[in-house]
Amino acid sequence: MKKFKKAADNISEYASRGYEALSDDELFSSAEYRPEALEHLSNAGYSYWRSSLRIYLKNRTAMFFLCLIAITLFFTFIQPYLQNQKDPVRIYNDASGIQIRNRQPDSEFVFGTNAIGQDLWSRTWSGTRTSLFIGFTVACVEAFIGVFIGILWGYTRKLDFFFTEIYNIFDNIPQTLVLILISYVLRPSLKTIIFALCLTGWLTTARYIRNQVLIIRDRDYNLASRCLGTPARLIILRNLLPFLVSVITMRMAMAIPYAISNEVFVTYIGLGLPLNIPSLGNLIVSGIDKMMEPNLRYQLIFPTIVLSVVTVSFYIIGNAFADASDPKNHVV
Amino acid sequence: MESGLDTSAVGSAISLRMARGRRIPAAFISRRPARGITMTAYIIKRILRSIITLFLIITAVFFLLRLMPIEGYFNNYEKMSPTQVRVGLANLGLNKPVHIQLFTFLKGILGGDLGVSNRYRVKYPIIRLIASKMPLSVEIGIMAVCLGLTAGVPLGILMARSARGRGRFKLWDKFGTAIVVLVEAIPASVYYLFIQIYGTELINKFIPLPMLFDESKAITWALPVFSLSLGTMAWCAMWIRRYMADESTKDYVMLARAKGVPPSVIFRRHIFRNAFVPVVQGLPSMLLLTLVGSLYVESRYSIPGMGGLLVDVIKRQDNTVVQALVLVYSAVSILGLLLGDIAMALLDPRIRLAGKGETR
Amino acid sequence: MKKVLSLVLCGVMLFGFAAGCGSSNNNGVPQDSAQAQGDTGTPADTGASSEAAPQETPADAAGDGVFRMLYSSEYTSLNYLVVVNTYELKAAANTIDGLTEYDEYGVALPALAESWSSNADNTVWTFKIRQGVKWVDKNGKETADVTAQDWADAAKYVNDAHNDSALQYMYSGIVKNAEEYYEQTANILDAENAVTDGTSESVEAYYAENDIDPSTFITFEDVGVKALDESTLEYTMAVPIPYFISVLSYASYLPVYGPFLEEQGDYFGIDNESLLYCGAYLMSDYEPNVKHIFKANPLYWDKGKVYIQEYQHIYNADESTLAPAMFQRGEIDEAFIGADILDNWFTNPETKDLVRGNMPVIAYSYFYAFNFEPRFDAQYEPDNWIKAVNNENFRQALMYGLDRVKALTVQDPYNPGSLMNNTITPATFAVGAGKDFTQYDALKPFSNGNNFDEAKAAEFRDKAKTELTAAGASFPVKILMPFNPSTTNWDKECQVVEQQLESLLGMDFIDIIVEAGPSTGFLGEVRRTGKYAFMKCNWGADYADPQTWAEPFGNGNSYNFMYTDESKVLAEQPVTNKSEETQAVVTEYYAKADAAKAQTADIAARYAAFAEAEAFLIQHAIIVPFSVDTDGYTATLRDPFSGMFAPYGLSPFRYKGVKLLEKPMSNEAFEAAYAEWRAAWTQAQSAQQ
Repeated sequence: MKKFKKAADNISEYASRGYEALSDDELFSSAEYRPEALEHLSNAGYSYWRSSLRIYLKNRTAMFFLCLIAITLFFTFIQPYLQNQKDPVRIYNDASGIQIRNRQPDSEFVFGTNAIGQDLWSRTWSGTRTSLFIGFTVACVEAFIGVFIGILWGYTRKLDFFFTEIYNIFDNIPQTLVLILISYVLRPSLKTIIFALCLTGWLTTARYIRNQVLIIRDRDYNLASRCLGTPARLIILRNLLPFLVSVITMRMAMAIPYAISNEVFVTYIGLGLPLNIPSLGNLIVSGIDKMMEPNLRYQLIFPTIVLSVVTVSFYIIGNAFADASDPKNHVV
Repeated sequence: MESGLDTSAVGSAISLRMARGRRIPAAFISRRPARGITMTAYIIKRILRSIITLFLIITAVFFLLRLMPIEGYFNNYEKMSPTQVRVGLANLGLNKPVHIQLFTFLKGILGGDLGVSNRYRVKYPIIRLIASKMPLSVEIGIMAVCLGLTAGVPLGILMARSARGRGRFKLWDKFGTAIVVLVEAIPASVYYLFIQIYGTELINKFIPLPMLFDESKAITWALPVFSLSLGTMAWCAMWIRRYMADESTKDYVMLARAKGVPPSVIFRRHIFRNAFVPVVQGLPSMLLLTLVGSLYVESRYSIPGMGGLLVDVIKRQDNTVVQALVLVYSAVSILGLLLGDIAMALLDPRIRLAGKGETR
Repeated sequence: MKKVLSLVLCGVMLFGFAAGCGSSNNNGVPQDSAQAQGDTGTPADTGASSEAAPQETPADAAGDGVFRMLYSSEYTSLNYLVVVNTYELKAAANTIDGLTEYDEYGVALPALAESWSSNADNTVWTFKIRQGVKWVDKNGKETADVTAQDWADAAKYVNDAHNDSALQYMYSGIVKNAEEYYEQTANILDAENAVTDGTSESVEAYYAENDIDPSTFITFEDVGVKALDESTLEYTMAVPIPYFISVLSYASYLPVYGPFLEEQGDYFGIDNESLLYCGAYLMSDYEPNVKHIFKANPLYWDKGKVYIQEYQHIYNADESTLAPAMFQRGEIDEAFIGADILDNWFTNPETKDLVRGNMPVIAYSYFYAFNFEPRFDAQYEPDNWIKAVNNENFRQALMYGLDRVKALTVQDPYNPGSLMNNTITPATFAVGAGKDFTQYDALKPFSNGNNFDEAKAAEFRDKAKTELTAAGASFPVKILMPFNPSTTNWDKECQVVEQQLESLLGMDFIDIIVEAGPSTGFLGEVRRTGKYAFMKCNWGADYADPQTWAEPFGNGNSYNFMYTDESKVLAEQPVTNKSEETQAVVTEYYAKADAAKAQTADIAARYAAFAEAEAFLIQHAIIVPFSVDTDGYTATLRDPFSGMFAPYGLSPFRYKGVKLLEKPMSNEAFEAAYAEWRAAWTQAQSAQQ
């Protein structure tokens, strides 16, 4: 891993310049702990974040998708507050009181209506909200538990054996199996789906984090920090976590589309969210039934497009971000 | 594939998840570099660990299933008297304490007996049930994997070459990426359906093609196999491209180039060989997972394979079959991971299983 | 070889796919590559199809008497003495004949019984068994004769707890000693289990521990089923059963060839070889999750009435999606057209004449029940609900406010009114003394109208509001309305009902909370435990007598808990939440129902009494009648008015007598024919009595 070589070099440079000015006495007496020295940085002109950002901005495809997802996200959230928006669960009736069923997309119903007369435009966006909510929650939970366990696992030597054995055992459990069983045993609801998805996902994150921690933990500067008596908490917070940010962000970006596509899968096998909570999963699954009728295909196509856009965007952004945050690619 | 039951159903999700970094075999993060451990010892250790995993999974599933309401065991619970319910439970073996039920089941497994189905097909031996379904899934799955590899590997190579080539537009790379992204992004349940509808419609113009699968008609094999192969193809192409691109900037490649080794040799001997490693690692899982079948494709085309069987029996609360299938599924995915790691070690001499810690 | 070919074909397609994407990326002409794909596919197939030639079946199969359709649920077993799912019993209905069958107007006809008679008080029924009927195997080879003993053997099997038959309930309380025999075999089974588990030393010890006296055991001889000789079968009833003939149409009363059953043991009905057939069809092929093929029985006693020579059920798990398209392509002869796509079929000129409605399924009645003993979470305010539900005006407001036609549009967008049911007992279910049950005086005012009345609902609402405010109830009243997410369209219907009732009665009056229940064990978790306020429930008829429809409201019922028996407990709380007013209504209802049940001699009086009891329930808005069941819409070559009609039992599933049409009947033609059929039905039923 050459990722942090640059930073490490800076520190040793700093150290070597210092030796010349010091007398033997000073060199071999223990240094006092100065909290303000922690804040002192010496790497001139190099900012990890600025470099990452610069690389990222150069990647035009990724920028395009970033804008796309930003717009989608923004729109998803403001959509209910726009003018003339319809209620996603409300059933619309025509003048004679009959439900407006299967109305083709037109100026009133932008994405048409479904079989009982609900507006697919607002349902699609409401479903996107639900699905993104699932995705984000799962990603956050995974990241939180994953980072916590991962750091504990990597940093504390005594726990390593324990966690490694646990990991080796649980990593083999097919995730789909867990997903199916949990969705079946518990009542179909948002909570269930989120719970089932969170149950296994953090394991992989934890392993990534643990590997990173293991690599960074015994770097010279951390060794130095420890010798200087910096508390473990601070080393973790100041020295370790910043290096993990890229891994964490990347894993989160990947966890979101993963959670969304799993929601579709669970709905497909009939264990997903109830229909009164619109989600991309149940919009797509109920759209699949209409696929055989050419003029009802719009009911499947619109949610599928939105889902694909969201998935692809997160996927490409995640990858591009991972590339950009790799210091190997940073040209100073 | 990491640990999916259904290569196609969750395949896309899995490959997304794997997009960054190959799966690190368990041995790489073993606690301490244990010197002198031979391959055999390593495998034995892995197998022992797998048995523990299997046992844990089975036990967890066993208890989970017993939490389900008993109503689910009967078709006409509404009209049953308490005696009838009691008798029904006794006949399903559910009136005994859970640990005794678990013990009986485990004893059966050791004796090679998976028991009989209680609800899915009453009194039918589970071994026979699986034996009647598995071959077809495997046949179709292996055909799909082969097809996916034969299409995916060249596509990946083309993409990688075009990505670092001099072509201004990198057409192959863009085209390949588009395919990969499409296959990854559109839910499999949707594009399979598209293929079925438009595929049959199209082919029907030239030769009669029924919508459903019929084992005796070769032509009906085409669409299911084709659908299934797309996932493998995208997965392969993506990996080959990524690793070839990564390898081609490595120092040793630069050195070889500087030494004047012909590009085709560098490509063949160095880049491709190294880039192929992760594909090989995934291969055993891919092949083994064909045992489980594909839920989407099999249910769409009425293929009487394993796909969807687990979901079916879970919904019918056929505990004995669920337990047996969970065992089979877990065993298959665990074995796949193990074989993948071994295959990789054999192929890549730099990797020493149970050797010194980190490679990444 | 074939597989290699298909692999080649796949390769070609994959290439075609790549090329297709490529071309559409570059110049947007996917058509060319599509063409190429098809062209290259052809030579590969010519080889394949020449090999597979014998299996090729022409698309149009109506002509050769083969009838094909899809199915999505595989049989769990072919053992017709055990299974209870409708789709499984369809196989039994066609392969095994019962004592009686029905004509196309629901008049009972002799089948394997040539004739029957009963004694004066309907406690002993005697059947003369048809001679010369054969048991045949799956190839149509004769194995044995059908004799009276076959019914006794079947009864012995069904009533023995060891066999765990789900059909036993049709004997309990009907055939003499059947229930006792079952209970006793259940005890024996328990004792045997206790011995194998080691919890008891011996069977005798178990009896001693559990206060069971083996000396009181009866033998099967004491059960009221007897073969007096080869051709005479006698059933003795537990109580007078005037409607016993309708009971016979259930699978519980199908015959079985005893020696064969014994020989097969546990494996009876495990596949099509471990069965013997005596019905119009035999199951010649049974490939689970692939297809079932039923061929006409060559030795059938009534071959003249079998018009379809072969029918095939082809498996597909996504039946509802694929069947309509496959029907249009001529690959199958019958497809259900879901409510979702129905409008489309009717508006498309190509398909509008292919699809038609079906006769309502009157074996099931749906009704909205008010829960008088709420046991749901405090957040849904059960105490407030108790106040509301005990107010008759409140209930009336909901009853008159529920627009059933609108709600039923979800299930049948084309003709929702046809599903509406104004009484608990569906119309054309039972006829007593020449008159349909729902046309008896007490029920007449309900059955001939639609309860939905906005003005009345508003009136009741205002009254309820005043009274409830006085009683200290808070508004809006929260109404918990759960649904089972795995029941097709129920979720949608709940959303419609919620919106319709709330907008009519006002959001300040009621607040309907639609909530998804668990998809497994829904009834146990929700209805039977009282965790709902106002919910759609259903009940299926067991026999042709109005008494069957009074059962869900009896003492100790698990529907609306309206009974006032204080010894009963629900979720560890006594059922004491009824106001005095409600108690008075309930007590009066039970008095009426008991009087009706006691009336066994005079059919007209019995029916009138039951009608009065049922009307009383509706009048006081204890329950809100809703709908009958529906088979939805079908595109099929089947003639809907051929074959047997009966609102219960196996006869509706029989293909015997069913004729195929040249082309599907249109909906208009169906409606017209259905009106005619109804007239003929009334006539036939009256003539019978």
